[in-house]
Amino acid sequence: MTELLPNISNKLDHVLAGLPMLLPELVLTATFLTGIGAGLFADRYWRHASFAVTTVGIVLAGVCSAWQLALPAVDNLLFGMATMDAFGRYARLLTAAVCLLFVLFAKANPGFNAHRKKTSDLYSILLAVHIGLNLMGVATNWLMVFVAIEMASIGSYLMVGYLAKEARQTEAAMKYVLFGSVCSAVMLYGLSFMYGFTGDLNFTSAAHIQGLEGTAPLLVATALLFVFTGIGFKLSFVPFHFWTPDVYQGASTPVTAFLSTAPKIAGIALLARIGYAWPADSNAFQYLHTLILVSAIVTMLLGNLAALRQTNVKRMMAYSSIGHTGFLMMAVLAYSSGEFAILLFYLAVYALMNMGVFMLADYIEARTGAVDVDEYRGLGKVLPAAFVSFVILLISLTGLPPTAGFVAKLLVFSAVFNNWQLTGNAGMLLLLIVGALTTVISLFYYFKVPLHAFLRQPEQERKTLPAHPIVVGLALLMAAAVLLLGIFPSWLMA
Amino acid sequence: MITLTHFLVVGACLFSIGLYAVLARRNAILVLVGIELMINAAIVNLVAFSRYDKAFYGGQVFALFAIVLAAAAVAVALAIILNVYKFYKSVNPEDIRNLKD
Repeated sequence: MTELLPNISNKLDHVLAGLPMLLPELVLTATFLTGIGAGLFADRYWRHASFAVTTVGIVLAGVCSAWQLALPAVDNLLFGMATMDAFGRYARLLTAAVCLLFVLFAKANPGFNAHRKKTSDLYSILLAVHIGLNLMGVATNWLMVFVAIEMASIGSYLMVGYLAKEARQTEAAMKYVLFGSVCSAVMLYGLSFMYGFTGDLNFTSAAHIQGLEGTAPLLVATALLFVFTGIGFKLSFVPFHFWTPDVYQGASTPVTAFLSTAPKIAGIALLARIGYAWPADSNAFQYLHTLILVSAIVTMLLGNLAALRQTNVKRMMAYSSIGHTGFLMMAVLAYSSGEFAILLFYLAVYALMNMGVFMLADYIEARTGAVDVDEYRGLGKVLPAAFVSFVILLISLTGLPPTAGFVAKLLVFSAVFNNWQLTGNAGMLLLLIVGALTTVISLFYYFKVPLHAFLRQPEQERKTLPAHPIVVGLALLMAAAVLLLGIFPSWLMA
Repeated sequence: MITLTHFLVVGACLFSIGLYAVLARRNAILVLVGIELMINAAIVNLVAFSRYDKAFYGGQVFALFAIVLAAAAVAVALAIILNVYKFYKSVNPEDIRNLKD
């Protein structure tokens, strides 16, 4: 400790020099504190106060991230805690967009509006989760990774359990919190070994790479498997997906929409960062990539096959998002450092599609009370705008032209194909085959929705209730965006 | 003489006991206790390894963060389990199964 004292001003200078890079997070922290104050004192006089504070804060943080896109990449931020490159900045921007959509979605949700405590606390939790997700995408230190994952997880548990007005919701929250805590405890145990092998917590550092090379491969493999558990829980790939269907079905729909998009963006960014931190010929790299390859294949198959026999729309979408996680992992494998455009395009399109589908499912539930696919019988004529945009989003989720989902899948497939031709890796070919096969399988469950809505006759006339039109408006915008991005993908891929 | 191996063995025992408590699933509170044991196993490891990291003491700092985060997660989990008890009058995960395939 004594030898640190003469350097203390240098160290403080380093910290201060790094802070401007974290401007979006600082804005979010300030918004978090203001939001709590607004919820406590200002909501009484103007009931939209905390909503307004949160929206402005997230937009401001997004603008800061967008402004920083032009800045050069900064390594070794805050003593190697984070690295601020274009990939992390884009992931941050995408997370901000998803958080903004969630705020609007929650504002219009009748369940949250009827709640005794309204939504002000939900917004504060959301901001904390947003900070956690931002840090997850840029972390290069195991401590930062763990803190970011826990920040995002603890907030997510609270969001799922926020309403707790039905037995189902509390059950979903309990399953989520228990499964999540076990996964993060296992991850922590794995991290303690990674630290023991290398003596360095920064996973991009030379000491870390050297330490992993000098350790018995079996030990490294076990520790990596433990670390993989924590990331697997956030991304919900097989075999860490058990919580997903229950939580997605039990949680209120805006929270489900959020959980199926934002943590995946940050989690995939983290996975890509860890996956390419080590040299390609090291044991750790080889082992991690085999692990990702196997889980990607199993995840795609299991997600899509299990979705076939679901009747509840939210549960079906849960399995569909598991299938898409497998696809994203395939994109991570095809990604080579620096060429992150395909991965980001897929993430952006996926976030748009999933947010849109859950918004429509919530709108349809609010209007007619239908939660199962069977109950959608004949509703296409009752709510034409909602169902037309629903069908567009589902076509895009399947990956058919002329939608953005098609372009995204095509880009991933061609990247994997190029990778296979370059390296001759049989695993890549297997990924390609499984990816194509599961795309066909997904057609069968996605098309249950238009089949029931447009082609089947209703058993009895359905009464419709009024609902907030902003949700369907947003979903229409998203369906239009998905179509436009399908025709002009260059708008996003500049 | 107590060596690094002793600490690692204690950690591994704690982790296994914790994992057993989690997998036995008798009671949600016991699952939480199991999780706590698993986190403590990792903390023992981190502090033991940190003895060899004289420059930064990264492991000890990590242990402090892990303790704080574990406490936060347990507080949230207990609140959620209390809500579950209100509806189900039970905290046995086997009884709480409205949501399934």
